[in-house]
Amino acid sequence: MAETQTSSPASRNRVRTFYYLVPLVALIIPFVANEYLLWVVNAILVYTLVTLGFNIVIGNLGQLAFANTAFFGIGSYTTAILMVYANIPYVLAIVISAIAGGVAGFLASVTALRGIRLYYLAIITLAFGELMRWVYLHGDKVTEGSDGLLMPPSSFFWIPLDSEVPKFFVFLLITVLVVKATSNLMRSRIGRAIVSIRDNEATTASLGIHTARYIVLAFVWSGSVVGIAGAMFAVLTERVLPEAFGLTEVIIHFGMVLVGGTGSIVGSVIGAITLTTLPEYFRQFPGLDELFFGIIIVVILLFLPKGLVSLLWRISPAFKERHYRD
Amino acid sequence: MEPLLKLQGVTVNFSGLRALSSVTFDSHAGEVCAVIGPNGAGKTTLFNAISGYVPSTEGAINFKGEPIHGLAPHDISVKGIRRTFQTGGLFLELTALENVLAGLHVHIKSSFLGIVMGLREAREAEREGLARARRLLDLMDLGAIADQPAKDLSGGQQRMLEIVRTLATDPPLLLLDEPVVGLAPPMRDRMMEIIRRLAGEEGIGIMLIEHVIDLVMSGSDTIVVLSSGELIAKGPPKEIRQNREVLEAYLGHA
Repeated sequence: MAETQTSSPASRNRVRTFYYLVPLVALIIPFVANEYLLWVVNAILVYTLVTLGFNIVIGNLGQLAFANTAFFGIGSYTTAILMVYANIPYVLAIVISAIAGGVAGFLASVTALRGIRLYYLAIITLAFGELMRWVYLHGDKVTEGSDGLLMPPSSFFWIPLDSEVPKFFVFLLITVLVVKATSNLMRSRIGRAIVSIRDNEATTASLGIHTARYIVLAFVWSGSVVGIAGAMFAVLTERVLPEAFGLTEVIIHFGMVLVGGTGSIVGSVIGAITLTTLPEYFRQFPGLDELFFGIIIVVILLFLPKGLVSLLWRISPAFKERHYRD
Repeated sequence: MEPLLKLQGVTVNFSGLRALSSVTFDSHAGEVCAVIGPNGAGKTTLFNAISGYVPSTEGAINFKGEPIHGLAPHDISVKGIRRTFQTGGLFLELTALENVLAGLHVHIKSSFLGIVMGLREAREAEREGLARARRLLDLMDLGAIADQPAKDLSGGQQRMLEIVRTLATDPPLLLLDEPVVGLAPPMRDRMMEIIRRLAGEEGIGIMLIEHVIDLVMSGSDTIVVLSSGELIAKGPPKEIRQNREVLEAYLGHA
């Protein structure tokens, strides 16, 4: 089996170098892409974090919790509300959105800790997302309801985010930092505790691991990451609307996790790239675009149940992510 | 000598059904103590009660002179009682190395912030853990399969790996639930040899559940016999072999 082949430290080093080069090479994008393409790339950066956060709960912790759009919406509205009503600088709004997402993650984890799992956890977390959407729609004194909340001009420190180019550099920086931090986490004793719980919760406790603590931690980290993505999304779209956080979005986020590869950080990036670019490409076939989108997901999952990331494993087993640092 | 583990009148009820009935015995460091009995005698329930997986209804369990009944499984594990499971004990999707590293969790001292920011102290702690995990695997001749997912290992390798994982933090007491079941006879003997060595040389207290009577008789220092949740005999193999009650209840003849 190709998957179980072991890899040499040298080939793992090459893979690591490759990963460090990706964001560096990406720096040339603003010089070759037009404003529209750059908008798509910026959306990819936002959805990379959306998928990364969702994947921690779905893929690493192995819990069927679908509160992801709730975290995303909470992050977006937190940033928008803080900036519209309190004139808070964007940097600070991002931090507070991360905290708000983390708090929402904590709330979602409480249901899982109370022994509500599988379909029950799925339906409760979906309901949480819909409840939040109801709040955005009916809290119109603050959220402007279905008209959406128009974002004021924003800047990241001294950089005005008035076009796609500065947004790209800021989003790339944030995404790289969050991906790196998450990768550090997943290759530590904490990441191992989280995946151990997925494989066998009872056994994990027998190793002295306080399982409840790591279930909460996984949810909080997931919520924070997606909360940050929400803060980026607010600046990307410039108007925060309730329908951006509905049930269809849950399916798209879930699709990104599955198409990329569950439990894989690289998979999250690939999933976000694939399912952000394809719908944009299919826009030229109005009426059929959603059909194509569905077919693509089905075909990928049928032939690559471990996601597109498994294609990389065929190139070299060194691409397999490990839960320790070499 | 102060016993390592002391059970006094331990009783476990499952919604009216008495799974363990006032079980009292001691277990010592450096001793291999086999728990035998027919199916449903309460052997695994006994292990579950000691390791905190089922609450005892009555009685007291002391480990190194300290009460441990009522504690959560992870707390009992941290105190130094490690166990294996009859089935499904390994993290099958993780590699052998990652399984052992998970066993080292409490041993690796790295802070959350240090981990997330990739600080030196956290990386050092992880590196030490990694070196220790590799050393343990090598010691048990599992070094070559360190990077294989546990699900791809043979039955013998899986059993061995689970024991290596429990040993990772040098626990004073090991509970092994059927450590040789499903193994070929030569592998079985090798496993028992390792178990004897852990007790004899490392001074680890070992309790094990086993069905193969020959192995139990030759490999253990003490035998505890359970039948319908009650302790019906305890003593060295020689005594147990001649115990009438045991022969009737367990071996099926007098």
